Amino acid sequence: LIMTLEDDLTTAAATGNAAAVEYLLETGAHVNGLNRFGRTALQVMMMGSLSVAQTLLKHGADPNVRDRSTGATPLHDAVRTGFVDTARLLIEFQADPNLRDNKNLRPIDIAKLGGHEEVFAFLETE
Amino acid sequence: MAQTSSIHYEPVAEIGGGAYGTVYKARNTESGQFVALKSVRVQTDQNGLPISTVREVALLRRLEQFDHPNVVRLMDVCATQRSDQETKVTLVFEHVDQDLKTYLEKAPPAGLSQECIKDMMKQLLCGLVFLHSNCVIHRDLKPENILVTSQGQIKLADFGLARIYSLTLWYRPPEVLLQSSYASPVDVWSTGCIFAEMFRRNRCTNCVPSFPTCLSVIGLPSEEEWPSNVTLSRKTFRPVPPRPITEVVPEIDSQGVQLLLKMLTFDPFERISAVNALEHQYFKDEETATETTK
Repeated sequence: LIMTLEDDLTTAAATGNAAAVEYLLETGAHVNGLNRFGRTALQVMMMGSLSVAQTLLKHGADPNVRDRSTGATPLHDAVRTGFVDTARLLIEFQADPNLRDNKNLRPIDIAKLGGHEEVFAFLETE
Repeated sequence: MAQTSSIHYEPVAEIGGGAYGTVYKARNTESGQFVALKSVRVQTDQNGLPISTVREVALLRRLEQFDHPNVVRLMDVCATQRSDQETKVTLVFEHVDQDLKTYLEKAPPAGLSQECIKDMMKQLLCGLVFLHSNCVIHRDLKPENILVTSQGQIKLADFGLARIYSLTLWYRPPEVLLQSSYASPVDVWSTGCIFAEMFRRNRCTNCVPSFPTCLSVIGLPSEEEWPSNVTLSRKTFRPVPPRPITEVVPEIDSQGVQLLLKMLTFDPFERISAVNALEHQYFKDEETATETTK
């Protein structure tokens, strides 16, 4: 099994290691490159890690990429896990709050279903 | 234990690995929720899975029945036969998208509030008391495997396979059992280091509380206190007097200092237990404080 730079990048993002994310991007990992599971770093990042999200987005990570099985965007997942600061940052970087996943749910619907009041209140203003 | 599961889990990234197997962040494609998949390859013979594996999984399942708020949920166990000699056992754990390391990095420059530190320590110790009362020693407690939900709930993770000591205990000689690495005081020491870490401000990612750092807090132990059967000589370390703890963690209150010193006691037999730490006055003050504000 050959590990690519993108595999390393997604692992660093998923474990919340912002320093490693930064280093891998500087050494040539593609910010929107897919790992061997067909996902980008922003899709699999530790959703609570604001510094990882910031690093990826500043390097041009696409915030509207969809999960190939469920159609969820990173904003859906930030909302599902309840991290309002990450959701806010994604929207600052042009994440579209009106995209729907394969179940026809928008991020705000997920917030309501998951009982994430703070995130729900924030998305209502968007 | 061989359980067939209709739920589909799809790996999205590798998040850990080692000699025991690989850990993946994965998605339950039905609920959309993330999970952590831990796979272990085990050798099998005509009798099926080795008894040690069955026991370890049984213990994890028994722990799960308590539904303890401060340990991660074990959601599913799957066994897949790879060949006549090998079976892959996959444990499906709840995945929390934030660990204590990330949480501390996000703390404001002034540091976490006193109430917040107390609340997190209380939850951490609750989880630890639960594990210890079920004869599970974590042995690798660190900010990376202490998870913090977006609602501020602490959940201990990675107390998984092959770390369960009670099952293999019977064949071990007393001198091994008496060595601190096999007993619950190791976890209390780690928790003490994490306690101090929560107070430290302007932390950098490279500063990990190492043994020499801890020595600067407790001072170099005396010849009498130094264990006799270890390879690392006491002479390796510069003799230092203990630094006043308030110099290392300036924000801490007097009850906090007391508790921290009890957790960072050099001799594992003198060190406070998790259950006694949870009963410490440091946590009682909080109750009186909240009662008076009601």
